Amino acid sequence: MKNRKEKYGTGDQTVLSNLRKGQRAKVVFLNTIDKALRRRLLDMGITEGVQIKIKKIAPLGDPIDIELRGYELCLRIKDLAMIDVEVIS
Amino acid sequence: MRIALVGNQNSGKTTLFNLLTGTNQKVGNWPGVTVERKVGIIRGTNFEIIDLPGIYSLSPYTLEENISRTFLFEEKVDLILNIIDSTSIERSLYLTTQLLELKIPVMIALNMMDIADKRGIKIDLKTLEDLLDTTILPISALKKTNVFNLIQYMKMQDFRKNEYKHIFDYKLEEAIVEIEKIVDTGHSKFLAIKLIENDPLFDAYHNEETIKIIENLSSSYNRDMEQVIADERYRYIENIRDAAIVAKKDQITWTDRLDSVFLNKYAAIPIFMMIMFGVYYLAAGPVGGWTVEFVDQYVGLAGQWLDSVLVSVGASPWSKSLVIDGMLAGAGAILNFLPQLIILFILISFLETTGYMSRIAFFLDRIFQKVGLSGKSLIPFIIGSGCSVPAILSARTINDETEKKMTILLTPFIPCSAKLPIITLFAGYFFNDYSGLASASLYFLAIFIILLSAFLMKKILFKGHTSSFILELPEYKMPSIRYVLHDVSLKAWAFIQRAGSIILLASIVIWVLISFSWRFTYGIDPSDSILASLGNVFAWVFYPMLGTWSWEATVSAIQGLVAKEQVVASMAIIAGYSDTTSEGLLIFGSGAFGFFTASSAYAFMVFNLFSAPCFGAIGAMRQELGTTKRMWKAVIFQTGLAWVLGVIVFNIGRLLEVLL
Repeated sequence: MKNRKEKYGTGDQTVLSNLRKGQRAKVVFLNTIDKALRRRLLDMGITEGVQIKIKKIAPLGDPIDIELRGYELCLRIKDLAMIDVEVIS
Repeated sequence: MRIALVGNQNSGKTTLFNLLTGTNQKVGNWPGVTVERKVGIIRGTNFEIIDLPGIYSLSPYTLEENISRTFLFEEKVDLILNIIDSTSIERSLYLTTQLLELKIPVMIALNMMDIADKRGIKIDLKTLEDLLDTTILPISALKKTNVFNLIQYMKMQDFRKNEYKHIFDYKLEEAIVEIEKIVDTGHSKFLAIKLIENDPLFDAYHNEETIKIIENLSSSYNRDMEQVIADERYRYIENIRDAAIVAKKDQITWTDRLDSVFLNKYAAIPIFMMIMFGVYYLAAGPVGGWTVEFVDQYVGLAGQWLDSVLVSVGASPWSKSLVIDGMLAGAGAILNFLPQLIILFILISFLETTGYMSRIAFFLDRIFQKVGLSGKSLIPFIIGSGCSVPAILSARTINDETEKKMTILLTPFIPCSAKLPIITLFAGYFFNDYSGLASASLYFLAIFIILLSAFLMKKILFKGHTSSFILELPEYKMPSIRYVLHDVSLKAWAFIQRAGSIILLASIVIWVLISFSWRFTYGIDPSDSILASLGNVFAWVFYPMLGTWSWEATVSAIQGLVAKEQVVASMAIIAGYSDTTSEGLLIFGSGAFGFFTASSAYAFMVFNLFSAPCFGAIGAMRQELGTTKRMWKAVIFQTGLAWVLGVIVFNIGRLLEVLL
C-alpha cells in the first residue's frame, strides 16, 4: 500500500493495482499464478491488449471496480497486482 | 424438441424463461440467481426448455457453472437459445463463439436492446447476424417485446444453421482440424479446442497423437495455449464489434450517478447501515411488532367465536380442546406473524431486484476478507433473513470452496423469518419499552458471532488460505412492482401453507402428547403427560440457561427442528394447558412459562437463534456441503455454540440483575 500515492503517467509500465481512479491502461501480461483464476480472468475479457479503466474504488479501499469491454468487474487489489499494464492516461 | 437457455450471469435468462413457460422462477439483479437447472415447457408448444445457471465460458469456475457445461456437453440438446445482454455484448459473444463450436444449432436473443439504445450503443443487427451466421432476435424480456416472435422462430425451425467461421489463426485452426479427426466424438471441435487449452476436466480424452500435436503447437507459439486461445477469441470478437457496433464513449449513466452516492467513500457505509436499520425497523422492530399485536386481537376473537360455536354444536370436551388448544393455539399463533413477514419479504425482494445487493458485496468485501469470508457471503446472509434454505443455495456463487463452506455453516445464524416470531414474542414481553433495542441487539449479536466464528476458523482451521473475489456490478434497475408483489405473495402463501400443514400437524401431535398420559388417559395434569416425561429427559440441557427445570421450554425448543415457528406454537399450546393466572400475553402469564425472567428469556432466544436450524435448512446444508458427515459437524457446531452462548448470556444477565 506504500506505493499507492505514486502517480504513474502515460507509457509507464506497472501493475493494475497501482493506478488511481479514472486512469486507463492496456493489459500487457497476466502473472496470475492460480490457474483457475487466470482462466477466469481471461474468460472475463482480461486478455492482452485490452483497455481497462479504474472505475470505482470501494469505500474501504479494496476491492476495485474496473471497466473493460463495456462492463464493470470488481477484483481485489492482490489479484490486480498480478496484472502487468501499460498506462494510457 | 429440447432447448437449452444459455447466457452470462444476470443477462435475464430466468426472466425470459418465465415468459416463455409462464412459470415463476426466482429472478434477481445480481449475478448467480439461478444455481440449479430448471425445466419448463414453452407455452403453446411441446418444446422443453432448460434454464441453466449463468456462465461466462464453457470452462467452469464454480459449481453451478459446471452444471451448465456438463449439461451442454453430455445431454442431447436440439437448440441452444443464447441470450445476450446488449449492454455487454463483447463479453457475451465470447460465450457465443464457444457455443457455436459445440455444433448444436444456436439462436441468439439479444436482450435489453432498449437499455443499450439509451446508453448510446448502436448495434447493426444485419451485420452481426452475417458475421456470426446465426439468427439474432432483439427482445426485451422485461418488457415482453418480441418474445412471441421468438417462439415462432423456434416453432418454424426458421433460423440460420451456423457454418463454422475461422476465428483462430491458420496454425491453430489446422491443429484443431487434425485433433478433431483423432478424437472423433460428438462435439469434436469443442473437444479439440479444450484439449489444446489443456483443460484439466478433459484430460481423459488425450492420447499420444493429440499430445504430440499440441506439444508442437505450443512450442511454435512459445506461449501458454490457454491464453493464446482466449486472446484470439477476443480479437475475433473485437473485429465483429468494430464492424457491427458503435458505442458512445464515456457515457455517464444513471448507474454511475447512483453509485457516486451509494458507493461514496464516506457515505456508503452510513447509507448501508441506514438501509439495514430501515429494514429491521419495519420488519423485525416496532412496526412489525405492532402488526402482530394488531392481528392477535382478531385471532383471539376468532378463538372465542370458535369456542362458542363448538359448544353450541355440542362438541365433546376433547374434540373442542383439539381444535382450540391444539390446532388454533399452535397454527393460529403462527399466523399472527404473517403481516410482519410480508413486510420483511417485500423489503428483501426490493433489495434483490434493484442491484444494490452486489454493491454491498463489493464494499464490504474488505471486512469479510479479513475474517476469511467473501463479500459475496453477504448475499446469503441477507436472503437468510427471509429463509435459510434459498440463502444456503445462493452461497454457490462464492468461488472459493472454503469461503463457501464457511458461509453455508454461518448463514443459519442470521435470524430467519421463522425465528422472528420467537424474537418478537420474547422481546415484546420482557423488554417492553426496549423491545426494539432487545431484538436489534440479537441481530448485532448474530453478525458479531458470524464474524468471530469465521475469524477463528480462518486462524485455526484454514491457516494461510488465500482466495479471490470476482464480481460483476450490474446496472441499477427499477424493481418491477408486479414482480415484487408476486414474489412476496408466493413466499407468504408458502408460509401459510406451512402453518396449515407442518405446523398444524406438529401442533396436533403436541396436543396428543400433552393431553394423554402413557396409559392413554385423557384429562390428566400436564405434568403427567407423555410430553412432560419426554421433556424431562432433556430438561437438564436447558437448566443452565433457564435456571429452572422446565420440560415445557425444553420440548418447545426441540421442536424448532421441525420449523422455528413451532417453538412459539408449542409454547402457546402448553401455556393453554396450565392455569392462566394473569391477563395480557397468555404464554408468559401461564404457570408453565411464568418462570422466565429477562435474562433467561434472552438466553432462550439466543439458543433458538443459533442452534441447529430447521430440518429444511439442515437438508440444504447437507446438499451443499456434500457429505452427511460435514452436515453433522455443522449441526453440532451450531448447537454447541448456541448452548454455550445461551449459558453465558443467562449468567451474565443474572449477575446484572443482582447488581442493579
